[in-house]
Amino acid sequence: MVRPDIGSQMVDLCAALLLVTCFAIVAQRRLSACVDVFALQSAFLAATAALVAFLTGIHHIYVAAALTVAIKVIVIPRILKKVIERLNVTRELVMNVNIPAGLLICGALVILAFFITQPIIPLGFLLTRDSLSIALAIVMIGFFTMIARKKAVTQVIGFLVMENGLFLAATVAAYGMPLIVELGIFFDVLVAVLIIGIYTHRIQDAFDSVDTSKLTVLKD
Amino acid sequence: MMWTLVLLVIAPILAGLGTLLIHDRRVVVALQYGQAVILLAAGAHVVMEVGTGEPATVGLLLYTDALSAWLDLVLAVVGTTGTLFALGYLDEQFDRGLISLRRFRQFFYLFDLFLAAMLIAVNVGDVALMWIAIEGSTLVAALLIAFERNKAALEAGWKFMILGSVGIALALFGTIILYYTSEHVLGVTSDALRWSELYRIAGSLDPTAIKVAFVFVLIGYGTKAGVAPMHSWLPDAHTEAPTPVSAMLSANMLTVAVYAILRFKAVVDRTVGAAFTGNLMIGLGLLSVAIAAVLLLVQRDYKRLFAYSSIEHIGIALIGFGIGGPGVFAGAWHLLNHALAKSTAFYGAGWVLLRHEHKMLDRVTGLVRQMPLAGSAIVIAGVALAGMPPFGLFASEVLITIGAYSARPVVAYLFLSLLTLAFATLLYHVFRMALGEPTEAGRAVGARTRVLLSAAIVINVAALSAIGLQVPSDLASLLEAITRLFGPQMVLP
Repeated sequence: MVRPDIGSQMVDLCAALLLVTCFAIVAQRRLSACVDVFALQSAFLAATAALVAFLTGIHHIYVAAALTVAIKVIVIPRILKKVIERLNVTRELVMNVNIPAGLLICGALVILAFFITQPIIPLGFLLTRDSLSIALAIVMIGFFTMIARKKAVTQVIGFLVMENGLFLAATVAAYGMPLIVELGIFFDVLVAVLIIGIYTHRIQDAFDSVDTSKLTVLKD
Repeated sequence: MMWTLVLLVIAPILAGLGTLLIHDRRVVVALQYGQAVILLAAGAHVVMEVGTGEPATVGLLLYTDALSAWLDLVLAVVGTTGTLFALGYLDEQFDRGLISLRRFRQFFYLFDLFLAAMLIAVNVGDVALMWIAIEGSTLVAALLIAFERNKAALEAGWKFMILGSVGIALALFGTIILYYTSEHVLGVTSDALRWSELYRIAGSLDPTAIKVAFVFVLIGYGTKAGVAPMHSWLPDAHTEAPTPVSAMLSANMLTVAVYAILRFKAVVDRTVGAAFTGNLMIGLGLLSVAIAAVLLLVQRDYKRLFAYSSIEHIGIALIGFGIGGPGVFAGAWHLLNHALAKSTAFYGAGWVLLRHEHKMLDRVTGLVRQMPLAGSAIVIAGVALAGMPPFGLFASEVLITIGAYSARPVVAYLFLSLLTLAFATLLYHVFRMALGEPTEAGRAVGARTRVLLSAAIVINVAALSAIGLQVPSDLASLLEAITRLFGPQMVLP
């Protein structure tokens, strides 16, 4: 058996790697590279979950880790790559917030996340509780990415980063949701990506662009 | 074991799957009729059973208490009339050659699954399964909103998809934090997610964590309920969606999102007292009413007009629940009456849209003379939505004002002045549409469509008037049980 303090530090390390990949996504202009970084992030997520499963001996977290690899490392990145290919967009040139400012804002979001979670951290399991702050930080950075970027595809990646943050939160804060819940969440995420794929296709057809800042027909 | 409860949840799933698999139009239509009848019958039975007795459970999955039964009532009645209306509406579009049989079927299986997802959401006894069902309803709704595939519909659908996903993700974070704290008390078990367990142990949950959880949930599900300032998807989605979907969004989906917030509120109030959730809900409610009241005035699109009115009424219900005590009663009453009145308004608007094929408010006049039934639907719904007697919304608004006045006079003054503004602006537009001489001839709908649209409107108006003057005794016991859920001696904030 691994000593608890070492185990706890390993979980923190994995969670920190997840956070680093968030910054990489914010700093990346090329869409296909964004998708690759997202796949890498999901791989770290699966590793974190597997580690927690190993350290706690709760087996259903292994199932969740395996599903993460299957869906978020393999299937969803493939779908997104196909969408990018079909849409013929490779780079995001104009953003609502430029990259250096975006990175600074993300840094501030991390501090905010630690601030919000500070009072509730002592409740958690000794092994994993420090990672809850990182999970909230990832959720907020995902949210920020959705606001900062204009291309439909990067907004989707922002949404998926949020999902990864939520999954991390569930794993580290509560040792995973019950299996039926995890399955439901994975199903919903997969369907969401498929629907978004359909949407980007139709938006491309109707507007000749996947730049969502061109969606301005509706006003008060 | 209650078979009617199972039937209520399963009927739209079966109708939806049948529509997906069978390509014959007559069968698809028959399935929808079947769904409409079963929803009404099973819904009525569930409401009566739960109203008189204990919560109904089926296995570990379904759990229906008074609050769930209240939502079943809303979903069953509006689901039934909505299905009839959708049949008439889509029939007409099909006959005019606007949609193919494939698209006709596509609409109905999405429509049925949308209803099914919402019925599951309110009948499961588990906070996380409820989340999954609500997320499912968001995804189906995103496809339904963009059903017409023009630029405006795509934009509205995309906006809804993005904002809805963010909202639902934040709600999941709140759910996870709730699970995190309840696990601390109960240990790692899936019981830590069940409502009944959560209510039992609420007293020993960590107050700070539960407050953080509620804030995330309120913002998350509040986005889906169209609460200001997260409402910006709502007017677009309600305007651009096919009209039967607009009615379902406004009457059902918003109500289900409020239900989710209420579930959490019941837990949080037991832990930290009612003042915390009450203040947040009153604040957001007032903001919603204010924004809607102002924007009602400047609308140029009649579907958009009713959309803003939905923001207003969800805000009013939130204020009611936030005040607590008699406000809970008023809030629940308000949700039911709003669902009936708003769907009636959209049925009328949909009929007008079929006839005139545009949504411009100032080009529509003389509806009562030109299309008596659609015109009177809009007038009756407009009068009800403006909060005039003899309709239930009058009673709930009066109760909320009284509750607010005895707790915090400032809230009552603000609330009343905003209501007056909304009252004037809504009725101005409604009467301008309804009265006078018709200016455009338009294109009359077919005979079958006319029967179906009329049926939907007549059932809704009958229900709305039947419960307008007094609360039927079955519903009164249900409302009492709901009030008890939020504590018998709820302190006013």
